[in-house]
Amino acid sequence: MEKIPQSLDDKILRYLDGELNTAEGLAFEEELNQNDSLKKRLDQLQDIHLTMRGKMIEHPSKNFTQAVMRKLDQYPVQARSFSIRNGILLLSGVLVAVGIASILVSAGVFDNLNTTIDLNQVELPKKYFERSLPSIPFSGKVIVNIIIILNLGLAWLVLDRAILKPLFQRRLQGDH
Amino acid sequence: MTKESEYCIIDKVLAGEQAVYAELVNKYKSYAFTIAHKILQNRQEAEEAAQDAFIKAYHHLSGFNRDSKFSTWLYRIVFNTAITYKRKNKYQFDSIETTVIEYSQDTDGMLDRMDQKKYLNNALAKLNETDRTALTLFYLEEFSLEEIAGITGMRANTAKVRIHRARIRLADELKIILKQEALTL
Repeated sequence: MEKIPQSLDDKILRYLDGELNTAEGLAFEEELNQNDSLKKRLDQLQDIHLTMRGKMIEHPSKNFTQAVMRKLDQYPVQARSFSIRNGILLLSGVLVAVGIASILVSAGVFDNLNTTIDLNQVELPKKYFERSLPSIPFSGKVIVNIIIILNLGLAWLVLDRAILKPLFQRRLQGDH
Repeated sequence: MTKESEYCIIDKVLAGEQAVYAELVNKYKSYAFTIAHKILQNRQEAEEAAQDAFIKAYHHLSGFNRDSKFSTWLYRIVFNTAITYKRKNKYQFDSIETTVIEYSQDTDGMLDRMDQKKYLNNALAKLNETDRTALTLFYLEEFSLEEIAGITGMRANTAKVRIHRARIRLADELKIILKQEALTL
């Protein structure tokens, strides 16, 4: 069977859905009479159309409703990816890391970690860079401070999502 | 059940009459289960996912703003819940239901209805879950394109194009399955 172009597939579907006007419908039926491949393709799509139409509804088990009603108070349904206990552990870990980093910063451990990254030292093809490239100052103290700030943000997120929110949800359910 | 009586039930549930929710479950359980089953291709999982979706809907009922139909809102939850289940079980083996192709003597458009439906289900299983669900909702003839789009999280135009392509792809997949069957005879 020769391959049916997509435009004809489109036309068959429009024909099956009753979207062709009278003139288009008649012209298409005429085309069907002259083209066996088109007729076969129509039969295929029509078979699917008839089998699928209105017969796809499926029914759950008889005790479906009772099961739902029985479980209504068990919420949240999905196990949380993070229990409150794990949230507290993660929060403690993040805070300890922030604390240690802060102590090291205030003790001046990172003060000497100052350098500049000279981009001219990077071996790049000269033809792309005619001018000299800038040097980027690198301060260990600034980097560690940024990491501390990011960790504080993470700690706040963990506190909110993994501890406070589930705690209030549980309390609300308790009230019901 | 009219829209007004449905809103009346929702108001009662929100006021604390939990038992009334059973009426909504009874009304929508078959469609909810059908959607979940089309995505998960496994009756037991589909039943669990559909039940979970009803429980989620119950707990978020106050968030239903009545701009859309309750059914669209509910089926969207069912769709998302089933997709989550699917992702969770992605690495499990395919169920027998989706992999077994049984022997049949008919090959080219002359299958009896039972066989046709069985092969069609196998062909449907080859589509992705969104196309499968959109196609099922389309053939149920209960949903407008806008509702199908709302449930599956697409734009109406995208839904129309995807359903159209999925119908053609389904026919092609069915043809391949029947050809393979013919070769094994």
